[in-house]
Amino acid sequence: MNFRDLVSISTGNLWRMKLRTFLTTSGVVIAIGAFVSMLSFGAGMQENIAEEFNKLGLLNTMLVYEKSERDIEREKERKQKQQEESSKTDSTTTVTAPDTVISRPLDNEALNMLSKIPGVRLAYPYESFTVTVLLDDTTYNSSAQALPKIAYETKLFSQFSEGKALESDSSKEAVITEEFFEKLNIDSTESIIGKKIIISAKASSIDSGLIAIFVSDSFNVSERIRQIKYDSLFNRSYIESTIRTEADAALNRFIDGYMNNNIIISDTLTIAGVLKSGQGFRTRTESVLLPVKTAENFYAIGAGKNPLDMMSILQSGGELNLFNEAPKSRSFSKITLNIDQGVMHAKVADSIRALGLRAFSYTEEFQQMQKFFLYFDMGLALVGLIALFTASLGITNTMVMSIVERKREIGVLKSLGADESYIRLLFLAESGMIGTIGAFGGIILGWTISRIASFIAKSFMEREGVDPVEIFTLPLWLIAIAFALGLLVAVIAGYFPASRAAKVDAVEALRNE
Amino acid sequence: MNNRLFETKNLCRHYIRGTYTVKAVDEVSLSINKGDYTAIVGSSGSGKSTILNLLAGLDTPTSGEIYAEGNKLSDFSRRQFAQYRAKKIGMIFQSFNLIPHYTALRNVEMALYFDDTPKSERTAKAEAMLASVGLSDRLDHRPADMSGGEQQRVAVARALVKEPEVLFADEPTGNLDLENSQQIASLLKDLHDKGITVIMVTHDMSLAENSAQRIIRMHYGKIVNGETA
Ligand SMILES: Nc1ncnc2c1ncn2[C@@H]1O[C@H](COP(=O)(O)OP(=O)(O)OP(=O)(O)O)[C@@H](O)[C@H]1O
Ligand SMILES: [Mg+2]
Repeated sequence: MNFRDLVSISTGNLWRMKLRTFLTTSGVVIAIGAFVSMLSFGAGMQENIAEEFNKLGLLNTMLVYEKSERDIEREKERKQKQQEESSKTDSTTTVTAPDTVISRPLDNEALNMLSKIPGVRLAYPYESFTVTVLLDDTTYNSSAQALPKIAYETKLFSQFSEGKALESDSSKEAVITEEFFEKLNIDSTESIIGKKIIISAKASSIDSGLIAIFVSDSFNVSERIRQIKYDSLFNRSYIESTIRTEADAALNRFIDGYMNNNIIISDTLTIAGVLKSGQGFRTRTESVLLPVKTAENFYAIGAGKNPLDMMSILQSGGELNLFNEAPKSRSFSKITLNIDQGVMHAKVADSIRALGLRAFSYTEEFQQMQKFFLYFDMGLALVGLIALFTASLGITNTMVMSIVERKREIGVLKSLGADESYIRLLFLAESGMIGTIGAFGGIILGWTISRIASFIAKSFMEREGVDPVEIFTLPLWLIAIAFALGLLVAVIAGYFPASRAAKVDAVEALRNE
Repeated sequence: MNNRLFETKNLCRHYIRGTYTVKAVDEVSLSINKGDYTAIVGSSGSGKSTILNLLAGLDTPTSGEIYAEGNKLSDFSRRQFAQYRAKKIGMIFQSFNLIPHYTALRNVEMALYFDDTPKSERTAKAEAMLASVGLSDRLDHRPADMSGGEQQRVAVARALVKEPEVLFADEPTGNLDLENSQQIASLLKDLHDKGITVIMVTHDMSLAENSAQRIIRMHYGKIVNGETA
C-alpha cells in the first residue's frame, strides 16, 4: 500500500459520493475564495501605497514643522509624568524638567541647522503665496511656491510630463503642475513650453502698516495733542490710560494699513516645464513653482499670504526694526528634507527633535501604514477564516457520515491486514483531497471575484476621472497560504473522524446483520 | 518439526456489561495442527465466532494466551498483528462482507494491498483466483449483481489470493441454499486437499461431519467434547 494506492482509493470514494463531495468541497471553495479575494484586496492596496511611496521618493523624504502649542503642551505633560514616576521609583536616571521643552521657529537658522544634520542631503523650505497668473489675456487665480533648483533632483519633483526643471535659482522661469495646466485652455503640454506668463502678487507690506500709524483718515495729530489734559500730566493713572488708548489706536491703524494698502508686484516668466501630478498625501505642490531668488521678490517686502505670518515674525524675530525694509527672520510653514539612501530615518528624526522641531518621516508613516495594513489584512483574513471554520465543520460532518456508512468496509480492510494508521490515513486522504480541491477551486474563485471587482472599480475610477489603479493583486505567497490553509483546515477537520474510523471495532463491524 | 499451528492456554474473552459478565470464551485450551480441517460447532451464542476472531487476531483475549506457530500473539505489535492478518490468515463470513461498491475483481485485489504484493501482479493474481472459483466471467460485477453463492466464492477468492496458511470460515454456508452450500463445501474440501488449514464454524452438523477431520463442540464458552491439547 503506497501513496498512489491511497490517493486512488480515496479519489474513488469521493467520486462515488459525487453530490456530497461537491457540496462539502463547495464550502471550502467559497471560504478560500472569500479569503483569497479579500486578502488580494488588502495586498493590492498595500502594493499600491508602497509603489506610490517609491515613485515619489517619499521614503527618503522628511518634513519638518514648528512645534505647535499642543505639541509643547503634550511634551511638557509627558516629561512631568516621567519625572513623577522616576521620583517614585527613586531611580537614578536623570529626567529633564518639564520646563526644558525646547521649541524653535522654522526660520533660516533652523534651515541651516537642518541641512547640517548628517544624512540630510538637501533641505529646502516651503513657502507659498497667492498669485494671479496672466496668460494670453486671461488671468487665473492660483498659488505659487518657491522651489530650489536642487529639489528637482529628488524624485518628488523630477517627473515632468513636458519640458524640464528650472535653469537656475534666479532665472525668470516657472514650472507649472499638470493640474494647473488642465485649467488653462491649451490643448497640448508641448505648446505651453516657452510661453510667457505674468505673475502678480498682492503683497501686504510692513511699510504700508507703519505709514498708516501716522497717516490715517481717522487720525489727526494736532487734534490729539489738543485733547491732552496738561494739568493731569503728572497723574500716573491718567498717563497710563492715555498711553494705553494711544497704543491701541496705533495698532489698529497699523493692521488696517497692512491689510488694505497692498502693493502689487509683477514679474514676467517663461514656462519651463509641466510637472506630473503626484497623488501622495502631504506632498501637494502649489500650482506654480518659482526659482528661489525670483520668488523672493514677491515676499521680500512683506510676509506670505497669511497676515498671521507677520505676527509670528514680530513674535519670533523679536526685533521689529521699524525702519528696516523687511524683518530679517522669516518663518516657513515647513521644510522638506531629502535623506540620503540607507540612512536611519529615526536617527535623523531624533536630531530634528533635539533641535526643538517637529519631524514627519514618510518612512515612519509608511511603517505605521504597513502596521495598519497588517491589522487590516488580519481582519480580512479573520472573516475568511470564519468561513473556513464553517466549511471545516462540513468536512467533519461528511467524514463522520462516511464512517458510519462504511463501517463494514473498515472492518473488511482490517481483516485483510490494514492497521489503524492505514485506516486513519485513508480517511485523512479523503478530507485532505476535499481540502486540496477546495483550495484550488477557491483560489480560482477568489481570483475571478477579484478580477470582476477590479474591473468594476476601474470603470468606476475612470468615470470619476481618476487614473485607474489596480487594487487587487494575487501574489504567489497568497496562493501558497490559501492552498496550505485549505489543506491544513481539511486535514484538521478530518482528523477526528479519521481517528474514529481507525478505532472501529472490526469484530463488531463484520458481525452478521 | 512441530506440526502445531495454533495453541491456546486458558483463553478467555469476557464481556462485562454492568454487573453481568458474558463469558463468550472461557478457559479454552486447545491446539490445532497444520493442514487439519477443523469444524467448530455449538449452539448460537456459545462463543464460536469469538474464538475464531481471537485466533485471527481481530479480537484480543481478556486473559490467556494464543500461540501461532509458537509465537505469542500478545507480544505482537499493532503492525505485526496487521501483517499477521494480511499474510497468514484468510477469512470468510456468513454475510460475505464484500465491499459493495467494488467489483468482484477489485474486492479480491484489495486483499493484496496489504501483503506486499507488487501492484503489477495484483490484477493477474486476482483474476486467476477468481477463475479458480469459476467466476472468470464475473470480474466486473458488483456484489449486488451476484447470487449469494457467487458472492461467497468471491469472498473465498479474496481470502485465498494472498496464499494464507489458514482459512477461517464463519458459517460460510449460513446464508446459502443447499446447492450453493454444497458448492462452497466442496470448494473448502478442495482447498484442504491442497494443504490449507481450514477452521470452520457451522451449525450444520452434516457439513461438519462430511468435511472436517475433527469437530470441536462448544457450550457457553467452553469446549465440551473431550478435547486434549
Ligand atoms: N460486543 C459484545 N458485547 C457483549 N456480548 C457479546 C459481544 N460480542 C459477543 N457477545 C456475546 O458473546 C457470546 C458469544 O458470541 P459469539 O458471536 O461468539 O457466538 P456464536 O457462537 O458465534 O453464535 P452464533 O452461532 O449465533 O453466531 C454471545 O452470548 C454474545 O451475546
Ligand atoms: Mg457466530
